[in-house]
Amino acid sequence: MSIDFSFLTRVAPILAEGLSTTIWLALPAMLLAALWGVVVVMGLLSRSRPLAAISRSYVEVVRNTPVLVQMFFIFFGSGYAGYPVSGFVAGLLALVLQNGAYAAEIYRGGIRAVTQRLAEAGLALGLTPRRVFRIVVLPLAVRKVIPPLANQGVLIIKDTSLVATISVAELTFHARLLADRTAAVFEIFFTLALFYLALTAVFSGGMRLLERRLRIA
Amino acid sequence: MDLLLHSLPLLARGTITTVYLSAAAVVLATVLGIVLALLQLYGGIVLRALVEVYLYVVRGVPLLVLLFAMYYALPYANVRIEPVTGGILVIGIYFGAFMTEVFRAAVLSVPKGQWEAARAVGLTTPWILRDVVLAQAVRMAGPPFINTCVMVVKGTSLVAIIGLADVTYVGKQIVERTLAPFEIFGAVALVYFVICFALSRVGRYLEGRVNYAS
Repeated sequence: MSIDFSFLTRVAPILAEGLSTTIWLALPAMLLAALWGVVVVMGLLSRSRPLAAISRSYVEVVRNTPVLVQMFFIFFGSGYAGYPVSGFVAGLLALVLQNGAYAAEIYRGGIRAVTQRLAEAGLALGLTPRRVFRIVVLPLAVRKVIPPLANQGVLIIKDTSLVATISVAELTFHARLLADRTAAVFEIFFTLALFYLALTAVFSGGMRLLERRLRIA
Repeated sequence: MDLLLHSLPLLARGTITTVYLSAAAVVLATVLGIVLALLQLYGGIVLRALVEVYLYVVRGVPLLVLLFAMYYALPYANVRIEPVTGGILVIGIYFGAFMTEVFRAAVLSVPKGQWEAARAVGLTTPWILRDVVLAQAVRMAGPPFINTCVMVVKGTSLVAIIGLADVTYVGKQIVERTLAPFEIFGAVALVYFVICFALSRVGRYLEGRVNYAS
């Protein structure tokens, strides 16, 4: 076993091709999951009992089953039902469904973390409950929510690797092909790991900047 | 319905593998997590740096990539290892990082004043660690520990990709033969749901206990 470092430079461009697919899957997955989470948390906190119950069951089902099984379910199921979706769409859908539920729980925690007293102070000043939520609770909750959302984003980036199994040509997919063809497995998986490390490092760095930006002095 | 009945024995066998993998990986991850959390908090600078590197790598690299690396690379390094053992090792090492965070946060949640108080009544460091800090940290760690266990159970589904016959793998095999994705993957999802939901309930219970204690 020896590592040929010049091979790294030959592997990198091929993996870079997969990188763009990974990014183009991860970005919409994060954005849509963050948005879907808002919808779900509105359901969770809704005063309508049935709606809250449905949202709660959705969150429990999705969070207690693996995203890989959800991907298989959507990918193979959609084909069977006569509306086949591509691996990319199936993967995106599964990632959004799963992480939207996590995002909803994060939002719920953020809203709860804003103390009752602050809300009461707002009410005492004569604000309507709706405005209390908008100008007291929400701005504080948003700040609370960024670090856990950033963590979830990193998990999304890592979970995009799973779509390699439903034949989407992203990073891990390319790496596996290369490993099958060249037998230079150390170089390939080392480079692959570096790609993911770089990706997650850039993302968490960006989120930390955002966090600092929004911090109340 | 008939199909499900016929698939049941196979799915059951896959479920046993999933449970076995999960249990072994949880044990490994927990031991790693406790040891590494203590090293990170009380170890020397070299040990602390090593733990930091491990956490950084595992946080940034997908579990699937680590599994592939094990599966493809070890034979080249002339390391012969049972696939099941390899799977447990990789999953355990991966979630060991999550467990490290869980236990570190729990230890840090014990207020510093308690160290000082314990020292004032004459306890020495190992005793303080055991009777004061860890005794409380274990309680605090309960709910996040359970959450991480749920992640481990879900994470074991990835071994299907490297060909271990867990319940996901068995399900996929059956679907390829029977073309009944909804029933079979539904059943597979149900298996995970039952395991993970039961775990979450335990977590909820522990959460109540923690609140009661504080």
